[in-house]
Amino acid sequence: MVTTLYDVAYFLSSSLLDALGTHLPGILGTALTNSGLIWLLAAVIFGAILLGASMINTIMLIWFERKMLGRFMDRRGAMHVGFAGLLQNFADGLKLFRKNTFKPREADALGYYSGPTAYMVTSLLIFGILPISSGWSDGSLPLTLLLALVIFSFAPLFIFVSAWSSNNKYSLLGGMRSAAQMIAYEVPILIAVVAVVVVAGSFDLTTIVNEQQNYWFWGPLFLALVVFVTGMLAEMERIPFDLPEAEAELVEGWNTEYGGMLFAFFMLADYLRALVGSILVVLLFLGGWTLPSYLPAGLTSFPLAGILWFMIKTYLVFGLFVWIRASLPRVRTDQLLRVGWMRMIPLSLLSIVLAVVLVAVRCLPVFGCLPPVGGT
Amino acid sequence: MAASAPPPEKTEENPILWVARPMWTAARQFAKSLVRPSTIIYPFERLEDPKFRDEVQVASGKPIGVGHVWDNYRGVHALNIATCISCNLCAFSCPDVCIEMVTVPGGDPKHPKKCPQIDYGKCSYCGFCSDACPEGCLSMTTRYELSSPKRADLVYSPQKMYEVFQRKLPMSPIRLERPANEDAILLDAPLCIGCNACARDCPTNCITMLDIPKAVAKPGEKLPRRIWKEPVVNDSDCVRCGTCISVCPKECLFWGTHP
Repeated sequence: MVTTLYDVAYFLSSSLLDALGTHLPGILGTALTNSGLIWLLAAVIFGAILLGASMINTIMLIWFERKMLGRFMDRRGAMHVGFAGLLQNFADGLKLFRKNTFKPREADALGYYSGPTAYMVTSLLIFGILPISSGWSDGSLPLTLLLALVIFSFAPLFIFVSAWSSNNKYSLLGGMRSAAQMIAYEVPILIAVVAVVVVAGSFDLTTIVNEQQNYWFWGPLFLALVVFVTGMLAEMERIPFDLPEAEAELVEGWNTEYGGMLFAFFMLADYLRALVGSILVVLLFLGGWTLPSYLPAGLTSFPLAGILWFMIKTYLVFGLFVWIRASLPRVRTDQLLRVGWMRMIPLSLLSIVLAVVLVAVRCLPVFGCLPPVGGT
Repeated sequence: MAASAPPPEKTEENPILWVARPMWTAARQFAKSLVRPSTIIYPFERLEDPKFRDEVQVASGKPIGVGHVWDNYRGVHALNIATCISCNLCAFSCPDVCIEMVTVPGGDPKHPKKCPQIDYGKCSYCGFCSDACPEGCLSMTTRYELSSPKRADLVYSPQKMYEVFQRKLPMSPIRLERPANEDAILLDAPLCIGCNACARDCPTNCITMLDIPKAVAKPGEKLPRRIWKEPVVNDSDCVRCGTCISVCPKECLFWGTHP
C-alpha cells in the first residue's frame, strides 16, 4: 500500500529491479531482485525525490511570498512568466545560473567559495531527518529534533566565514550582527522546545507528532509557540529580525559581495531555512501530518494524504511569517537582545512550567487527554 | 498668571499593541486586495476599460471621455488627409518646430499635396497646431501610448496619423467658430506683375486674378512688364495662411488691416 513517500520510492525501485531481473539470466537476476539492492536503490530514489521536492518547494515558497507580499501592498506580485508568475522564480534562478561567478580581488578564496556552499548544504541536510509523513523513520532516530536544531544553528558560522572572507565592511558588519543575534534567539528556542519535549516525552519528531493525536500542542503550549515562532523569525533572519541583511543600512549585509550562483545559493538557503522553520513549527505545534479526529477519515486515507496536509500547514505557517514581514519594521540589535533575554527567556521558562503542569494533570477540560505514556 | 493647559499625559502603550496594530492593518489590507488589488496590470488592462469606469473618480466630477481620459486630452494627432489643404499653418504655429510638411500622394505633380509629419520626440503637446488648423483636419486624440524602442518610430507620418484618425478615437473639440480676424492680405498694386503665383498656390483658392484696365502708355515712356491682372482676395474664404505673401516674387502682397 502506497501511503508514504518512501513507499513510492520503494515501489519504483522494486519494479525497476524486477523488470531488470526478469530479463537478466540466472543468478544475476535473482541477485538483483532478492538482495538488499532494492533498499539501497529505494533510498537513493527517496533522497533524489526529497532533494527535488525541497528545492521546488523552496522556489515555490519564494513565489508564495512574492504573491502574498504583493497582496499586502495592494499589488499583484509576479504575473507574467507562467500562470500567475508561477515560473518567474525558476526564470530568475536560470538567469542567476547563467551568470559569471566572480570573486573580489582581495577576498579570501577558500572562505568566499566555501561559505555559501556550506550554508546551502547544511540547510539541505536538515531535510534528510525531518519526517514529512507517517512511516518516515519509525523512531530509529531518537534525537531528530535536537539534530535538526543543531544543524539549523550552524548557519551563523558560515555566514560569518563568508562575510569575513568577502573583505567588505558591510559584509563584515552583517556577519558580526548575525553572530551577535544568535545568542539572542538560540537559548529561548531551545527552552521552548524543551516544553514540547516534556509533554511529548521524546526528542524524536515522529513520536512528537504521534503524541499530538488527541490535540495539537499549539493550544496548551501557546507560550512556547509564541517564543518558538519569534525565535524562528530571528533564526531565519527574516523581517523584523533581518539585522544581518538590513538593506537600508548594510547594502545587502553579508551577501553584498556575492553575485550569480553564489548569491542564488544564499537566497535559496534562506528560503530553505524558512521552509525548515515552518516545517518545525508544524511538527512541534500543529500536529504534523495528522488532522483532528473529528474530521472525516476520508480526508487522510488517500495516498500521500499526510504529505498534502503537511505541506498545506507548512505554507500556512509560512504565510504567517510573510504576514509578520509585511507588518513589522526592523528592530535594533539592542531591542532584539532585550526581547530575547528579558521577554522570551522568562516566557519560555514559564512555558516549561506549564508543560510540567500539563503532564501532571494529563487531561484538560477543552482539549482532552494526552495519550498514555509510552504508547502510540 | 493664566492657567495653562496641562500637558497631555503620556500614555504608556502596551508593547503588544506595537505588534498587533500593524498586523491588523496589514491583514485588513490583505483582505481588501485579496480578490483584486488596486494595481492594474497596465499593458493588459487599463484604466479606460469599462470595468474601471465607475471606480475612477476625479475630484471635479466624473470624467466625460472614455474611462479617466477626458475628451479634451491632448494625445497623438489624428489627421484627415482628405480635408487637409496643405496650408502649412500647423507647421508655422508649432513652437517646437517638430512639424514638417511632407509630400503625400494625391496632388498634381507640379504642386504636390503636403501634409504635416510630426516628430513626437520633440512635440510638447501644446495643441497650437490643431488650434491653427483652419479645416479642422488636424486634431488631438486621447491616445497616449507612444513608447517605442526606436527614436525613428516617434516620427509619425501623415499616413500613420490618418490611421489614428480612422480609429475614431475621442478627439479634442475642434474650434469651429474661429475668432474674427482683422488681418487682411493687401496688395501694393503698382508693384504687381500679375504673375498668378499667389492664386496658383492659395490652398483655399480664394484668390482670383481679375482683369484691370490696361494702362495707356504716355508717349516716350515704356510700360512695365505686366499681364494686366491683379489678385483679389475673397476675405471670407481666406484662412490667413500667408502662402501668397511668401510666394509673391515682387513682394507686393503684405499683411495689413482692412481700411
